[in-house]
Amino acid sequence: MSNWKNSVDPAVDYLLPIAKKAGIETAWDRYEAMQPQCGFGELGVCCRICWKGPCRIDPFGNGPQRGVCGADAHTIVARNLIRMIAAGAAAHSEHGRHIALTLLEVGEGHAPAYRIKDEQKLRKIAEKLNLAPAGKDIRQVAKEVALASLDDYSRQKRNVPCNWAKETLTAERVDKLAELGVMPHNIDAVITEIMGRTHVGCDADAVNLLLGGIKGALADYTGMCLSTELSDVIFGTPKPVITQANLGVLKEDAVNIAVHGHNPLLSEIICDVALKMNEEAKKAGAKEGINVVGICCTGNEVMMRRGIPLATNYLSQEMAIITGALDAMVVDVQCIMPALTSVAECFHTEIITTMAENKITGATHIEFREDSAVESAKKIVEVAIEAFKKRDKRKVNIPDCKQTAITGFSAEAIMAVLSKLNANDPLKPLIDNIINGNIQGIALFAGCNNPKAIHDNSFITIAKELAKNNVLMLATGCGAGAFAKNGLMTQEATEAYAGESLKAVLTALGKAAGLNGPLPLVLHMGSCVDNSRAVNVAVAIANKLGVDLDKLPLVASAPEFMSEKAVAIGTWAVTLGIPTHIGIVPQIMGSSVVVEFLTEKAKDLLGGYFIVETNPELAAAKLVAVIKERRRGLGI
Amino acid sequence: MATANENYFIYADPRKCLGCKNCEIACALAHANCDLTTAVTRGLKLKPRNSVVQVGGMVMPIQCRQCEDAPCAHACPTGAIYQEDKFVRINEGNCIGCKVCTMVCPFGAIIIAQEEKDEGNRRTKNGKARKCDLCYSRKQDNKEVSCACVEACPTKAIMLVDYESYRKKLIEERGKELVRAYSVIKA
Ligand code: SF4
Ligand code: SF4
Ligand code: SF4
Ligand code: SF4
Repeated sequence: MSNWKNSVDPAVDYLLPIAKKAGIETAWDRYEAMQPQCGFGELGVCCRICWKGPCRIDPFGNGPQRGVCGADAHTIVARNLIRMIAAGAAAHSEHGRHIALTLLEVGEGHAPAYRIKDEQKLRKIAEKLNLAPAGKDIRQVAKEVALASLDDYSRQKRNVPCNWAKETLTAERVDKLAELGVMPHNIDAVITEIMGRTHVGCDADAVNLLLGGIKGALADYTGMCLSTELSDVIFGTPKPVITQANLGVLKEDAVNIAVHGHNPLLSEIICDVALKMNEEAKKAGAKEGINVVGICCTGNEVMMRRGIPLATNYLSQEMAIITGALDAMVVDVQCIMPALTSVAECFHTEIITTMAENKITGATHIEFREDSAVESAKKIVEVAIEAFKKRDKRKVNIPDCKQTAITGFSAEAIMAVLSKLNANDPLKPLIDNIINGNIQGIALFAGCNNPKAIHDNSFITIAKELAKNNVLMLATGCGAGAFAKNGLMTQEATEAYAGESLKAVLTALGKAAGLNGPLPLVLHMGSCVDNSRAVNVAVAIANKLGVDLDKLPLVASAPEFMSEKAVAIGTWAVTLGIPTHIGIVPQIMGSSVVVEFLTEKAKDLLGGYFIVETNPELAAAKLVAVIKERRRGLGI
Repeated sequence: MATANENYFIYADPRKCLGCKNCEIACALAHANCDLTTAVTRGLKLKPRNSVVQVGGMVMPIQCRQCEDAPCAHACPTGAIYQEDKFVRINEGNCIGCKVCTMVCPFGAIIIAQEEKDEGNRRTKNGKARKCDLCYSRKQDNKEVSCACVEACPTKAIMLVDYESYRKKLIEERGKELVRAYSVIKA
């Protein structure tokens, strides 16, 4: 790996040599030590579903072609893949359940730390879910919405689709999916169904398995949709906010607390409590009080809603500790590297786990419960202040890297900006500009980082290329983090990289929004669970044009994906009719049937399909070509 | 006439090797005379004599080539490495862990490692040279035992090559080619 650059993030460039010198192992070291990675696993032809196994299929045809039970490569690959989808859907929907239950508590008058911050949105949701909210007390509406959402986890009638899936997609899409028998009726049941049908000796037909996976992906969509929308109700709907990103947001003279993970339930309260405990931090010697920063999607959540700066994204999470200036990292669920505690051993940093079902050996566990959220948050901040006192000044290396980032473009915020141009018909200016070609199409960037690609590089490379081609870009999750850290969520980036017509549109919108210049090059739509926000916008456009989603010049890209959640998201994007690029070779190559289905056959069935391309330049060209093809299809 | 024939050696086909390291595990277990579960539950630190490397997008295991004019055998000051019975043999008991052999081996095939079942409380670390011995150390009671890695490879990427028969086959194949060419000219 001599000529291999690990990252294009300047903060990583600065900190990695420091880590190396100190002998601190990072994800990149572990990745290198893991080479070569098992070829059977990479192909997805290794089955460990029963204990007659592990079985693996020889891709060269010399050795075994079937597992002990007789499962062939296609069955094995498809089973492995849809189990990943089930896990991804489980992760998102557990998050959603947590939020929905909290909303129920709020409606019933428990959970004193929480309230309804966006009543208007709650009422709108209630209307969408056909709950006739007019004239009802807001707490009653909260209860009804929470119960209707929880219904999506418990409905037993198989022919009644999930509320949140049915009411948020185009009617045409809902019908098509129902016809295919993939519309979920109950998130939990669909996840369970995947586990059941992939058990040894059950579903063995690769295509039938994949249809089960598609249903699981739609269950994932349902869970994330309700999770995002209900979070807005409780914590407020994001509006554009100017903030900063990258590790330079850590402060030498402050108690630095990073909130990391995915669930805003605790991080929001920590932000509140931290404000109130500033004096205690100062008493402990931190001149600037408490500095809360974000990592991964919890970071995106608090960045969007509160303008809390984003320290870093997934792959560089260890770097935050290596700065030597982080006093506590508070983690909830998902994408938290278990390595954090061993890196933290080299410093004074406290790693604090907060969820009963997510602990890490070596971390301090301070359990979080909705009814005592404030007390937990206080305890956490106290631990951080104590840790600050133990900070070794000689080990502090805060890289001088931070970028401005304009974030907070929820669907509502985008509509608000558009309505400045046309109050009666906000979508019209956007659609007009798509039709006249000023905007060629829309691309949604999502997904994680992966050491198999140069950290953040694929996001940046593809985005610059699409910008040149006048593609409007949205981003969520660690992709959004990559853009924020590397300065692509700025007005300057629009000036520098956008094609002429895109620049003109973004400038007109930015000026109308009172930004005194263009909108940023990439619009930050939130955490990875917030991908449903982009669907909201797309569905609104599709409905207005009277076409289904699979006709729109719309693409998605997850160029550095790694998690099971990303597999689920990518699959529902394809299911909704969106051509979706992935920049990491997925572990399905051992089955021609599965590969062909996902990259070709899906197109006829659903309109969407996967595009696998590891080279970011080529990927950008392919995405532009797809947008052009879709435009031709629409006759524009 | 024991040393009249050239050495056997192991050959791996990088186009078939998947880098699963199955051969490494098999080698380590074979030389420890131990099964996987026992090794893992006892926490033994097993050392394979081969090593799977990844170069230029290709993967293959590297092990001792059984050189005819073996540099390691020349260099070994204690005579622990020597030629015998179509093997470059190694007598680990005589090895003092000076690492000269590892320096002269053109393939990096030799490692110095401690005893697998090391108890630890000795005067010295007692590291010994380890290299592929074509599983000679597994042969007991003069029974033929095939190489563990060759047995373990799920894609049949590795094979034990008998130089004599390999060469004979090669000559025959080239001969056939010449004959075919000649008959074309004649016709
Ligand atoms: S389910 Fe079949 S293929 Fe999978 S491990 Fe068991 S026997 Fe092997
Ligand atoms: S160990 Fe190295 S030098 Fe010795 S015979 Fe094998 S390949 Fe040759
Ligand atoms: S390490 Fe052992 S076998 Fe190798 S040269 Fe030294 S004495 Fe000989
Ligand atoms: S077992 Fe075969 S495929 Fe696996 S690493 Fe060894 S040679 Fe390569």
